[in-house]
Amino acid sequence: MAPPGVADAELIARVVVNDDRHAFSELVRRYQSQVRATLRRLTAGNQALADDLAQETFLLAYRNLKSFRHEAKFTTWLHRIATNAFLADARKRKEELLGDRDGDVVDDGDSGIEDAGGYGGSGEGHERAASLKLDLERAMATLSEAERAAIVQCYHNDLTHEEAAWVLNCPVGTVKTHILRARQKLKLRLAAWDPEPDTAA
Amino acid sequence: MNTELPMATSPSGEPADWLDAALAADGASHRDDYLDDAGFTARLMARLPGPVALPAWRKPALSLLWAAAGLGVALALPTAASDVARELFRLAAHPVSLLEIAAAIAALGAISWVGAAWALRQD
Repeated sequence: MAPPGVADAELIARVVVNDDRHAFSELVRRYQSQVRATLRRLTAGNQALADDLAQETFLLAYRNLKSFRHEAKFTTWLHRIATNAFLADARKRKEELLGDRDGDVVDDGDSGIEDAGGYGGSGEGHERAASLKLDLERAMATLSEAERAAIVQCYHNDLTHEEAAWVLNCPVGTVKTHILRARQKLKLRLAAWDPEPDTAA
Repeated sequence: MNTELPMATSPSGEPADWLDAALAADGASHRDDYLDDAGFTARLMARLPGPVALPAWRKPALSLLWAAAGLGVALALPTAASDVARELFRLAAHPVSLLEIAAAIAALGAISWVGAAWALRQD
């Protein structure tokens, strides 16, 4: 097994040149958590589907490692494959996903997000944080796949707009539009958490 | 809950607000969370396509084919060996200049390099 200090580039070279399986398994061990966590976000918490897509992501990465040109970080490249796998799967499952969403989230809808009484935070910090996290997850599930992917890349994976555009394989302007729309939807669904609600609305 | 806004502006370019703070905090906790491997890597490695191995009979078969080809040429050109030997003898008897020797050494060197490169090639 490769020692933990070995750089990604060296492990990648070993896989490409010598088909070194140990080097590839080290890469998987390093990044499985990030990729699986991202896919869990993208799939709105469907852990089984997220892990299946993560397996597919790493299989595709193994098959296409020769085409990795270091034009982006290896993790960003993995996120791109994972996001593409998710979007392709989402297209296939569109009808099924819409059905699930109707049942699990939309019906749950506004009533599922309690009156939070503002996004302040005094005494009950942890409970409020957990409650907001839960509401945020529910609200994220109501976004379109493209909007959710843009939010996940920019906020969860901390990518710039340009990096997110590369991952999502779309123009930067499209990423900004997705984020803008996603924020509008999230604000609407999480209005109870707004510490300064718009009284005019 | 931390009410301070960790970002001056949101990724959409708007000034950061409570939603950005919530998303940023959620993102930070997401990045900090480590998902245990729990057999994920082992399952994946078992699914990788098998290594491409050349069949064991490939080299002996190629050697046999080359030998057969050489024998075929020798049989097809029965006078070739004696012709080559005669020409070599004539060249050896002929006085050669330093330039010819240098050219011969350069040619042999080039042939050696090509031979080494061919032998060390990766299929």
